[in-house]
Amino acid sequence: MLDLDKIIQDVKECRHVAEQDVLELCLKATELLLDEANVQFVDTPVTVCGDIHGQLHDLLTLFKTGGECPDTRYLFLGDFVDRGFYSLESFLLLLCLKVRYPDRMTLIRGNHESRQITQVYGFYDECVRKYGSANVWRYCCEVFDYLSLGALIGGAGGVFCIHGGLSPDIDAINQIRLLDRKQEVPHEGAMCDLLWSDPEDVPGWAISPRGAGFLFGGNEVAKFLERNDISLIARAHQLVMEGYKEMFDEGLVTVWSAPNYCYRCGNVAAILTIGEDLSREYKIFEAAIQDATSIPSKKPVTDYFL
Amino acid sequence: MSEPISFVIPVKRILTPEDLTKWGESETYKKLNAFIERLATSIKGLTNEAETGASEIIDALLAMLDGIETILSQHPVVEDANTSRFGKVEFRDFYDDVKEQVVGLLAPIVQIYQKTAYGDPTVELAAYLSESFGNRTRIDYGSGHELNFMALLLCLDELRLFVPEDDKALVLKVFIRYMALMRRLQREYWLEPAGSHGVWGLDDYHFLPFLFGSWQLYTHPNLRPKSIRSQDMVDMFHPKYMYFECINFINEVKNVPLRWHSPMLDDISGVKTWAKVAEGMFKMFKAEVLGKLPVMQHFLFGSILVVPVGISEKGDQDDDCCGHSLLNTWGDCCGIKVPSAIGASQMNKQQGIKPIPFD
Ligand SMILES: [Mn+2]
Repeated sequence: MLDLDKIIQDVKECRHVAEQDVLELCLKATELLLDEANVQFVDTPVTVCGDIHGQLHDLLTLFKTGGECPDTRYLFLGDFVDRGFYSLESFLLLLCLKVRYPDRMTLIRGNHESRQITQVYGFYDECVRKYGSANVWRYCCEVFDYLSLGALIGGAGGVFCIHGGLSPDIDAINQIRLLDRKQEVPHEGAMCDLLWSDPEDVPGWAISPRGAGFLFGGNEVAKFLERNDISLIARAHQLVMEGYKEMFDEGLVTVWSAPNYCYRCGNVAAILTIGEDLSREYKIFEAAIQDATSIPSKKPVTDYFL
Repeated sequence: MSEPISFVIPVKRILTPEDLTKWGESETYKKLNAFIERLATSIKGLTNEAETGASEIIDALLAMLDGIETILSQHPVVEDANTSRFGKVEFRDFYDDVKEQVVGLLAPIVQIYQKTAYGDPTVELAAYLSESFGNRTRIDYGSGHELNFMALLLCLDELRLFVPEDDKALVLKVFIRYMALMRRLQREYWLEPAGSHGVWGLDDYHFLPFLFGSWQLYTHPNLRPKSIRSQDMVDMFHPKYMYFECINFINEVKNVPLRWHSPMLDDISGVKTWAKVAEGMFKMFKAEVLGKLPVMQHFLFGSILVVPVGISEKGDQDDDCCGHSLLNTWGDCCGIKVPSAIGASQMNKQQGIKPIPFD
């Protein structure tokens, strides 16, 4: 039987979680996620969080800043993994909380929750290094395929939440409900755009320098808000030195929750609480001081140097 | 005098995993790999200050890098620029200026070539040089850009501008000069790491100074791979050895211990000898740089570094976009894939295979 509280404790202290437990947790999470909609409804009040990228200690600071789950209801906008030292632990912690308190934790998919991207940006390497095989990475990738694509907070005049942004193929939130999301993130099309696009001061749509998704302008945001009867698009996906940044007459906000990104960017992080009256409250937090006594255990050197 | 070669504008060609396989079996791959190995072994046991002897072509290359540094000095970062974006937009002015002056920057080198051969290789050399300092649009830099600089040197080698005695100077003078310039660019414009594996890669920006650096230390009587863990050692040896310079740079920009932000380097510091590190760097370079699709998708092929045989025809999609008026704030279209900003949904149906995007 899966002891969630024990795994939560282990993960928080960066202790190794048995491969079998990871598998069981992933299967449980998948079962739950399977029933969720492509765009999940979320009640207020809720605290919206941006990219985490494996910065476990900063994720723990985030919970201290916003209140522990389940006391506070959370919505994470994706990009849990890649780049940081503890992608696996960060993702497992969020999954444990999801399984333990399903109504208090919503996770949606970021562009890094993908087989292809995690093989390029570190999560794959991390799993192989920590477990000596790619099994754990595979279990996690299975879960990625079931994550919701977006969320809708509150009723009329509420907040639409998505990792990247808008797609030229999507005018109405209802169109997202028609997508078959249970797959690897495609290289193009609506599902790809929602996870990859960025807001920019452009008229309409423009090519994205990322090579996936689009740049979308203020007029597209205004149209989307109007048509879907919402007041705000909350998204993540771009480093913001100040932690958050509102654009387009406060119709869109970027929330970034990985402080001192990659241990070098010097940025602060933010979370956004949407109140019962749809009010917005931002909280800022800084990078955790690394505890020298909890230095990660040493692993054998990679094959190249044997 | 040899027959004139007709030089062409180099273009990207590698797109699919199948292309990558063909690349790995190609003549150009073998040449590039052999060139790097030849340069690395030439500096085995030598410090940065070792005697290298002078030559006209080495001086011309150093003067070219000085010229680029001058351009850098002309585009300082304006302090109150929007701080939300990480990379500094003034990098684009630097990039554009290099591109504008590239013919002049390369002229002394081309003149050396033309003493013994016909033809003008400027278009080919210019392509590699212009892409050696980072991506204009994304304001980022990675081992692919570093590879462009080596491709430029390989072109000159293929054009027979070097003699064997130049090898040492190519690393200890020219490459080190390039590294110093890159460090300034990285600091000045806050270049983002391109395609970085985060903590799980060797380094945010570079590969080759670790490779060359480990060959410098190959025969060192006292220093060991674990010496990088001591800040005293790093302080003492970073002016002498590239590997220590890299560690010093990382220690300066990252504010937590090595173990946290660079587990790979920390692992390597556990290897017994520099010889093992040096030999391992060759294997790792082949696998992690030359063998990686996200890096090699951007590699340029022309008449000097020829495209691998049998590679798929439609590789070069991002270089023929100039002339289109694009509706984006970047004001540039080079280096960005996808044909048109308008008619997006049609495009989705027409597009074939895409390069792996930049997160
Ligand atoms: Mn993202």
